[in-house]
Amino acid sequence: MSYKGHGGKEIVENVLEKEKAKEAIQGLTQIPVRRQIAHECISLSYGFFTPLQGFMGYNDVDAVCKDMTLEDGTVWSIPIVFDMSDDEIKKYDIKEGDTVLFTYMDAPLAMFEIEEIYEYDKKFMAEKVYGTTEEKHPGVKRTYEYADKFLAGKVTLVNEPKFNEPYASFWKTPKQHFEAFKEKGWEHVVAHQTRNVPHTGHEWLMKYAWFAANEDLTVDTLKTGVLVNCIIGEKRKGDYIDEAILLAQNMLRVAGYFREDVHMVTFTLWDMRYAGPREAVFHAALRANLGCTHHMYGRDHAGVGDYYGTYDAHYLLKSVKDKLSIKPVFILENWYCPVCAEVTSSAFCAHTKEKQKFSGTLIRSIIIDGVKPTRLVLRPEVFDTVMECAEKYGFGSPFVTDKYLTDRQPIFTLEPMDVGKA
Amino acid sequence: MSEADIGINIWINEERYEKLQEAGLADLAHDKLAGMKVLQIKCTEEQKDKILEKFPMAKYDASTTRTIELLPREVKDKIFEIALKLKSTGPEVIDEFLKSV
Repeated sequence: MSYKGHGGKEIVENVLEKEKAKEAIQGLTQIPVRRQIAHECISLSYGFFTPLQGFMGYNDVDAVCKDMTLEDGTVWSIPIVFDMSDDEIKKYDIKEGDTVLFTYMDAPLAMFEIEEIYEYDKKFMAEKVYGTTEEKHPGVKRTYEYADKFLAGKVTLVNEPKFNEPYASFWKTPKQHFEAFKEKGWEHVVAHQTRNVPHTGHEWLMKYAWFAANEDLTVDTLKTGVLVNCIIGEKRKGDYIDEAILLAQNMLRVAGYFREDVHMVTFTLWDMRYAGPREAVFHAALRANLGCTHHMYGRDHAGVGDYYGTYDAHYLLKSVKDKLSIKPVFILENWYCPVCAEVTSSAFCAHTKEKQKFSGTLIRSIIIDGVKPTRLVLRPEVFDTVMECAEKYGFGSPFVTDKYLTDRQPIFTLEPMDVGKA
Repeated sequence: MSEADIGINIWINEERYEKLQEAGLADLAHDKLAGMKVLQIKCTEEQKDKILEKFPMAKYDASTTRTIELLPREVKDKIFEIALKLKSTGPEVIDEFLKSV
């Protein structure tokens, strides 16, 4: 079967079998990495970021910043970089041409073949990627916090993560996504990007997107699916806990709001950059690498604050759509209309005075107040799942708290391995 | 004091609705979203800043609803009780609340 991802490039897995890995890592210098880098190593190795097979070098980063492409012209919007301070480089005695072993949670994770060590102007990077140099933008802040040197090179996973439940039930590599779609008989797959528990406004965005993505396929047997691909990564206080996001999204199908044969929930390890339009382009590449044919984009996609216009992501996607391997589906916002007595799209409903707008923040406040939402706001099974997750995983809260940040169950574990002496 | 055009939504369940009826304030609760009722307490820009300072977990939704959200339930309970006592949803409710924290 063909595994062609973003830019028409083949999905390549750089993952060593256990016995080969044990041999390969013997004596390598061990470098502990932080969560973001560990997650990106996993994503790079399985091909989520195809055509990238490692952390970017100077030329790629420069092309991403200036032209929103890789050096070879493939559309790419966000730098994927590994940073290190001069002190660390000195401490580990690292130079170009070395291979080192990344460790995470005190266990080996990935081999990193260092091809290049370079500097890049972080302010310039921030301005080009995020359109601002203001540190209060979380993506800009992350950029400024990078150490002063960047290291580029291929990453090979030597220790596959063992996902804990509920994550294990929703984990699929890119190739496994392609295989799952084939098994379901899906010819078109529309991706829904989320970090949220679904309210009915989201539900209907997905349903409208299904119709758009189905295009000219006949409907006697359904051949289009919705892939809800949740982003699991950095959490901030007040976010929904990860377990609630996955299980509540899945509940939409379990409880019958989506048919079994048109809906699937998986996740990608990724720290949101909140780059708005550029993050939307990144999502297009990411979901093409999962085998999706379409990607749904609503208003304010992946933005933060008022840095981006409501439909800026749509305009940028449209400007590069011929170079993408996925078709964007642009959707207007949904609201509840008491006159229509239904959740509807602003593309149809003319009762603009009577409309009642959905807001994620508003729904969070309903849950915090301990008031059970009506089924036209949040499906009762979804609400019950969220509250069960609060008890089971969230120390009593469906939202991220200090305790969740420090004591949450790990998403995955890594088996210890003998690495010999460096 | 500046214009009080920022809201704090107190979502109304049956228990809260009964208390509103007892206080003769039930008419102030209005349908906000798909059958969900809310009592909106008004506050000024200055009061909003004080609340966000005292309760950093709270967020001001400037783009969609112009409301302060994500306040802890006990804070909402307290604001609700003050509204009942003063029989008001105006900024004087928040003034009294701010004196108590």
